[in-house]
Amino acid sequence: MKRIEVKLSLPVVAPLLDVIKQLADGLGKDLAVPFSLGDLDPDFRDAWMAELLAAQGDDVRALLALFDDEFFADGVIAFDASNAEPVLRACSAVRLRLREKCLGVLGDDALESSDLDIEAMDEQVRKAFMCYLFLATIQELIIQHLDSSILES
Amino acid sequence: MAHEDPHGLPESESATALATEGVWRVVVLNDPVNLMSYVVMVFKKVFGFDEPKARRHMLEVHEQGRSVVWVGLREKAEAYVFTLQQWHLTAVLEPDEAH
Repeated sequence: MKRIEVKLSLPVVAPLLDVIKQLADGLGKDLAVPFSLGDLDPDFRDAWMAELLAAQGDDVRALLALFDDEFFADGVIAFDASNAEPVLRACSAVRLRLREKCLGVLGDDALESSDLDIEAMDEQVRKAFMCYLFLATIQELIIQHLDSSILES
Repeated sequence: MAHEDPHGLPESESATALATEGVWRVVVLNDPVNLMSYVVMVFKKVFGFDEPKARRHMLEVHEQGRSVVWVGLREKAEAYVFTLQQWHLTAVLEPDEAH
């Protein structure tokens, strides 16, 4: 099984985990993207939303599980076919929530282009934006190295 | 009291049946958050698109704000929207007026 290990800088990443954990709590209660099938039978709709919410919670737990004791000992996180998909989805969910809760001040056009002056941001926004970029980097790494594993699963 | 149509269905049930029959489009809408590479990967994974087709749809979403990624019966269209929602893409269903 293909596996990738990434060594991260603990002093840089550890402060970002607080932001991720705060947002992860909210993702246990609300979907990152509002449910769009409004005309479904109400019972069916409720069942689907509950299923989506449970899956979203599982994905976020897989993301948080990367930052275990091993990570705090040597700064290493690892991906393989067993956690690549949930981590990818969780990164997307947290990034969507970061945009909604913390990065609205930047504007969508700037956020989409990532052409932003980090030094000009206040500390809270800067931390949230660094987290946003960090999660994107994780996604890029997984897609670059485990794309075939994901497609075959 | 609901009126009945000539086929014996109450009016409200008939309307519901019409709304869920026919051909529907799965439309993916743009968002400023998800990475292009992520959207391409999801299209390949969910719809079995090859790389060029997945990239073409992703660029359509990015540049035009939306892309019709699948057309067919309502039940399967709903399942695709559900799966896209699991991947946190914004997708909606539209009736396909051409059918």
